[in-house]
Amino acid sequence: MDVDNGEGQVQVHLKTKQEHYAVPDVPYAIDGTVTTAELNTFVNALLLSKGSSAVDFDFLVFDEYLRGRLCDHLREKAISFEDAIEIEYVERFPAPEPQDCLLHDDWVSAVKASGKWILTGCYDNTLNIWTNKGKHILTIPGHTAPIKAVDWISLDDDTGRFVSSSQDQTAMLWQWNVGANTVECVSVCKGHERGVDSVSVSPDGQRFATGSWDTMLKVWSAELEDAGEGTSKRMKESGVRTPKITLQGHRESISAVQWMDASTLLTGSWDHTLKVWDLSLEGIKAEISTNKSIFDASYSKLNHLILTASADKNLRLYDSRTNQGSVVRNTYLGHNAWVQTVMWSTTEEFLFVSGSYDNQNKLWDCRSPKAPLYDLLGHGEKVLDIDWTNPKYIVSGGSDNTVRVFKSRKALVENMDTK
Amino acid sequence: MTKKLTIKRKVKEPEPQNEAPDSHESSDNEEEEEDLLQAVKDPGEDSTDDEGIDQEYQTDSSEDLEFESDEEGNYLGRKGAEGSSGDDDEESAEDEEEEDDADAKKSSKNNDEEAATTSKSIKKSQEKPTSSNKVVPVVPARDPSKVEYADSDTSDEEDIRNTVGNIPMHWYDEYKHIGYDWDAKKIVKPPKGDQIDDFLRKIEDPNFWRTVKDPLTGQEVLLTDADIALIKRINSGRIPNEEHDEYAPWIEWFTSEVEKMPIKNVPDHKRSFLPSGSEKKTVSRMVHALKMGWMKTTEEVQREKQEKRGPKFYMLWETDTSREQMRRIHDPVSAPKRDLPGHAESYNPPPEYLFDEKEAKEWHKLKDEPHRRKLHFMPQKFKSLREVPAYSRYLRERFLRCLDLYLCPRAKRVKLNIDAEYLIPKLPSPRDLQPFPTVESLVYRGHTDLVRSVSVEPKGEYLVSGSDDKTVKIWEIATGRCIRTIETEDVVRCVAWCPNAKLSIIAVATGSRLLLVNPKVGDKLLVKKTDDLLAEAPVLDVIENERIKTAVQWANAEPADQEKGVRVIITHFKPIRQVTWHGRGDYLATVMPEGANRSALIHQLSKRRSQIPFSKSKGLIQCVLFHPVKPCFFVATQHNIRIYDLVKQELIKKLLTNSKWISGMSIHPKGDNLLVSTYDKKMLWFDLDLSTKPYQTMRLHRNAVRSVAFHLRYPLFASGSDDQAVIVSHGMVYNDLLQNPLIVPLKKLQTHEKREEFGVLDVNWHPVQPWVFSTGADCTIRLFT
Repeated sequence: MDVDNGEGQVQVHLKTKQEHYAVPDVPYAIDGTVTTAELNTFVNALLLSKGSSAVDFDFLVFDEYLRGRLCDHLREKAISFEDAIEIEYVERFPAPEPQDCLLHDDWVSAVKASGKWILTGCYDNTLNIWTNKGKHILTIPGHTAPIKAVDWISLDDDTGRFVSSSQDQTAMLWQWNVGANTVECVSVCKGHERGVDSVSVSPDGQRFATGSWDTMLKVWSAELEDAGEGTSKRMKESGVRTPKITLQGHRESISAVQWMDASTLLTGSWDHTLKVWDLSLEGIKAEISTNKSIFDASYSKLNHLILTASADKNLRLYDSRTNQGSVVRNTYLGHNAWVQTVMWSTTEEFLFVSGSYDNQNKLWDCRSPKAPLYDLLGHGEKVLDIDWTNPKYIVSGGSDNTVRVFKSRKALVENMDTK
Repeated sequence: MTKKLTIKRKVKEPEPQNEAPDSHESSDNEEEEEDLLQAVKDPGEDSTDDEGIDQEYQTDSSEDLEFESDEEGNYLGRKGAEGSSGDDDEESAEDEEEEDDADAKKSSKNNDEEAATTSKSIKKSQEKPTSSNKVVPVVPARDPSKVEYADSDTSDEEDIRNTVGNIPMHWYDEYKHIGYDWDAKKIVKPPKGDQIDDFLRKIEDPNFWRTVKDPLTGQEVLLTDADIALIKRINSGRIPNEEHDEYAPWIEWFTSEVEKMPIKNVPDHKRSFLPSGSEKKTVSRMVHALKMGWMKTTEEVQREKQEKRGPKFYMLWETDTSREQMRRIHDPVSAPKRDLPGHAESYNPPPEYLFDEKEAKEWHKLKDEPHRRKLHFMPQKFKSLREVPAYSRYLRERFLRCLDLYLCPRAKRVKLNIDAEYLIPKLPSPRDLQPFPTVESLVYRGHTDLVRSVSVEPKGEYLVSGSDDKTVKIWEIATGRCIRTIETEDVVRCVAWCPNAKLSIIAVATGSRLLLVNPKVGDKLLVKKTDDLLAEAPVLDVIENERIKTAVQWANAEPADQEKGVRVIITHFKPIRQVTWHGRGDYLATVMPEGANRSALIHQLSKRRSQIPFSKSKGLIQCVLFHPVKPCFFVATQHNIRIYDLVKQELIKKLLTNSKWISGMSIHPKGDNLLVSTYDKKMLWFDLDLSTKPYQTMRLHRNAVRSVAFHLRYPLFASGSDDQAVIVSHGMVYNDLLQNPLIVPLKKLQTHEKREEFGVLDVNWHPVQPWVFSTGADCTIRLFT
């Protein structure tokens, strides 16, 4: 068989949702062997008549990125060559560029960015606050065991509040006075019987949830003053908090917790399941069983899909709204070792980042399962946590004792626009 | 006979008789002589074919010599005859002349004139020798019989002068002739004188008395002296042959004397004096047959024949199914005769018999049903018989014929065509047996010498490893982080995490000390409780046996050790090789291979007490194991495994491994199946309910197997070997007692590096996940998921 079998010409319609890049909706006959680069020059040539400058585009054919030749793509999707094919083109997401490297004393197992601050949790039992310019602000000792997760509760110009969880079986609620650059431990949340692996703050900032190795999911108040009933005065004084809700259901350690909305929690566990908890009912709303231990899960408010990182090399996409058990919507292949952490973009509907034990971060578009958009290199060791809460920065911490900050170009562009 | 002979001679003699005068008067009567020769030759002509050819030679005058030499024999014979009858009478000569005339006439008929002339010339050339022969008659050459037969001694020829035949001659009395010669001319009776003439002749002729009349020809024949002598001899009753000596000495051709010595020195054969056995057998058989009525005597046969000859009846209307069959057997219808071969069978058939293209096609088309062919062969044409090839199916058909002859069954023997695949037990595909570890996921680096042992925390968050670098390390499984390193004073041979999740203790066998270490990971409450538990030694109410005292000393750890987490130190009297926990975490057993009778010990944690379960060791103990549910204790010596009941304190079972050296064992969590690894590359699966012999022996590794381990939850087991491979297998044990365990090797994981002949030293499973940990001589611990 001829290798170069493009099966002749294919009729295509070029479309875009970005108005300013629109081209006339005329069918074009294009050779089947065409690739992204050629399509790109073609579209740019069309746009040139409108007087705009050269832009890089990516092409979506039937909801998937065109990565090789058009004919191969069509064949794989079993699409007839005779149909008129709609190709949607989108401006290519600009490559994030490495910006900074924040050096720590030990493995960085938790990172969270908010505003211009980056909060990191470290295996030397300390929390650190950095600016996103790479300036070290604070080192907060307090835990007696490695920090496993951190999250911001609220942040404004004067004060910031955040929560950290550690293998010392506690989560700690902190209040940071930005101006004075002092940190105060508001309370210590005790109740877990083993290390607390994950923490997540509710969207309204009222509560936070922790998942632990003792298989329990606990919900705590994130208020400064814990107005919970039944808490003794002595405990209040000592700053010790008890959980508002304790949810039992997982059989193994809970490795990922995320709020889906104000009263719904998503948890991922080593017992191979994802569970959706309804806090008002204090019960399980939905359960997705998979066949690997889940190390991290991320839910996107934009497209309501769940991504999991599990004990293999693949990322998997689930939809919690379907009740048909473990229906994997998509599998993303690209990493060479366990993927430890994954996170959706908070602004881009289709983008997400992942960090893996193969020392790489990857930026993905969920429509491109075969290959990531970009590999974010830099770490010399295992990546333990990644964060993209701040759309401008992709932050990741690893066992090479560093936090790497990658600046998202898009953010740059938008920044320029706003300026 | 003799008479006849004489007559013959008489008749014949006149022939040679007249030859003598012939030779004398050869000059004037050449023709006659030639004719004579012819006449002489004639009989020879008849007897041999050569003669005819000779005649041709005669026509061909050039080759005289050859002719001569050829002819000599006969010729000489004739001369001899002449010689013998030397004295001739004129009368007889006259007779002969007449006869010669007749002969000449006859020959002239047969031969041409030319032939006659040539023969004449030949005659001339031959004359000289004949004449010389005459002078010296060659008597010995004369063979009387030969002469007689050469003259063709037949009755027909006797009377060639008269052709009347054998009739009474008096029929011719009234005629003037006496018969007819060969030319049908009358033979005139010689003038018969009257009685006076006879009388005169009687007086005048001295030979009258010896003159006889030939009744055939009417000629008078003069008897010779020899004839007369012969006649006289016959008359007198003597033997006619004069030369016959009646009194010649007797020659005894066949001796009548009995020889004293045998001519041949061979003793007589046995059968010459013994009655024949086979004959006897035959006779006895016949007698037996007669007795039994199988055979019949001739009379009986005759009688029966007589009876048979009577009227025959047969059933006209009987159903002939059975009878017909019998009839067929008794008088079978012979096979029809085959047609004689036709032209088509010829090696060189006429062209119209050869197949043309269409016919050949048709012939080939009926390959599958050859009976429908018109001819069972294809006519072939050869130029000559010589070119006909050998029959190609000769050997084959001869072979088949042989098979027929010894009644070989022709049915094709059904050969069992068994696919090799079919014999392999049907194992499920590994894909259906997931989950099981397939890839290396994490490498735990930090040790600086070979890692001997690994053990996992019951909850599955942490891992402990003991190494030859004299350290014990505690790792976080998920990240590969080394949380704590505990230094010891000696090589760490074995570590074991207490299987009871309510206790936080690791047993570490280092040198001859057994350390109970609190790893201080996990639940803080548990850590504290464990510390409290181990802090105080309970008051012993039992006085220790001296034997135990010398073997084991319990002690709380020094403050320096306390800092590291070591809580209790149990000092043994010999280096400890292995330590293992009982499932509930109160008892632990240690093995000291050099401990002789005290090599296995059981320690009770809560009472800080040690026991020596065996007063005598049955061999070099390699490892020990607690049964997960029953109070049983497995002790592996080098060759065998003994199972003891700890309550009854007796031997329950002895498992025969048939291997040289056991390296380790692992028991299925349900307790009915035991897996044993050996240094001779084998893994043995014992079904304890089934037999004391291995249910299955697995030779999966290429080198000594160091360690085996069952998974607590999944039907998996793993083995680590010196060939650097960890082999993960599916080992399903069914609750149904009738169903044997299913063992399927699944995956070979070979990522460890080789160091000084050592590969993988220990394998252990994660208690919850289908993950396997292996430690190697390459100072690493590897996690396969």
